[in-house]
Amino acid sequence: MYQLSNEQIDFIFNDIRARGVEMESLQNDLLDHVCCIIEQNLEASGNFENFYNNTIKSFYKQHLWEIEEETITLLTFKNYYTMKKLMIISGCASVLFLSLGLFFKFMHWPTAAFQIILGIALASLVFMPLVFTLKIKEKQSLKDKLVLGLGSLVCSALAMHVLFKVMHWPFANLLGMGAMSLLLLVFLPLYFFTGIRNAETKVNTIVSSVLIVLGCGLVLTLVRSPKAGQLQNQRLTASYLRNEKLLSNERIQVAGTGDSKIKNGELQSLGQRIDATCEELKRFVLESETGTAMLVKDAGRELYLQDSWVKDFFESDGRMQTKLQQLSTDWDVYLKLSESESPQSQTPVFARSVNDLKEERSINALTTLIQMQLFVLQNQKMPIAIR
Amino acid sequence: MIYSSELIKGTLKTIVLKLLADNKKMYGYEITQKVKELTSDKIQITEGALYPTLHALEADGLVTTESEFIGKRVRKYYTLSPSGKSKTREKVSELADFMNTMKFLLDIKTV
Repeated sequence: MYQLSNEQIDFIFNDIRARGVEMESLQNDLLDHVCCIIEQNLEASGNFENFYNNTIKSFYKQHLWEIEEETITLLTFKNYYTMKKLMIISGCASVLFLSLGLFFKFMHWPTAAFQIILGIALASLVFMPLVFTLKIKEKQSLKDKLVLGLGSLVCSALAMHVLFKVMHWPFANLLGMGAMSLLLLVFLPLYFFTGIRNAETKVNTIVSSVLIVLGCGLVLTLVRSPKAGQLQNQRLTASYLRNEKLLSNERIQVAGTGDSKIKNGELQSLGQRIDATCEELKRFVLESETGTAMLVKDAGRELYLQDSWVKDFFESDGRMQTKLQQLSTDWDVYLKLSESESPQSQTPVFARSVNDLKEERSINALTTLIQMQLFVLQNQKMPIAIR
Repeated sequence: MIYSSELIKGTLKTIVLKLLADNKKMYGYEITQKVKELTSDKIQITEGALYPTLHALEADGLVTTESEFIGKRVRKYYTLSPSGKSKTREKVSELADFMNTMKFLLDIKTV
């Protein structure tokens, strides 16, 4: 019977760890097991190192960490059926929520957005990862595993891209472009050349690859090209500049007519305040969009409105949010006052509260602000201009 | 004759559970020795099969463990939990039934 020294026990323990066994309880199990074998079978004067090396080799086929791998597999397998059930439920639920959400959306019923978001989130965060976890076990070769991994990653990323896009979260386009590039430049070649070599999967691979290219092609057909986007922005910017021109012409005309026709002092000063606030908000939107508020004077330069959602600008600037809120209140008061001033006047058509302006894209927001300024100006020429 | 690992794989859980039912608490090495002894070396449980099974049984709540320090190293004793006891009966009778079916299926004449 051999007596193991503390150093030898440390040596065995470190060796087990060095051979890639990371679970502490498994390390202890194996350590005790090896020690028992040595103590029972090695005679007192035997060669420890030789005996240990032969013993530990008998534990595995290729690597000691296979034992840990097998343990982990058994532990995950325990949850296999629950995971499979969850995969099916989450898949069905995401399809159901998405379809219902879309139906609600087209009917313009409430909770549509919530259902769509839930559907997409379930698909990309629960369903796809589960598909990957469960299917990876069935794949033998590294290439098949890689194809499955990349495929699920691309699916999740594409779904997240749509979610980010509709929620106006940052990096949506980057996510989409990244996923699409990964799909077409990495996944597709790998999938195609792996599948086409096998006679059994050849036809399926070709058909699926064609479908993937067609799908991406159709999506990209709908996407505006950068050049077209630039032209569109040029058009929008020109339209905005024309509006500004109309406004400044109107200003000159009003100044030419001499005194304001509005006798009500409160209405007069309120109008001036609205005009100033509109000017400030326009400057803010322009600056947020293009980095400069001098767009009007700098039209020759390649500076165009990007037609972004102004919501993003307002969300990062509390002061401007307050300004908009104040403009909204002022505007309501202004309309009431001018109505009482000239009863025959009609309230101009502003479908919603001015505060809702922040739900618009920049060109619409700017146009609305200019229109408000025009109304105020025209009102100075002739109090019943508000029509 | 040593039985093939395919044959042992499907019955390992049952073997371990039954041994624990008969011997209260055991550690890994003890289990392999006991099996060797009882089967006259015909069944030799490998470490690579035993420990994953023991950990899975623990995760299922069928066995509990207690650790004991033997000098510098830790020895883990495995004991059946109450649910492990009923599972053992279930597994053993299932295997007995299976053996009868196999006898019939393969037309084995008992000598």
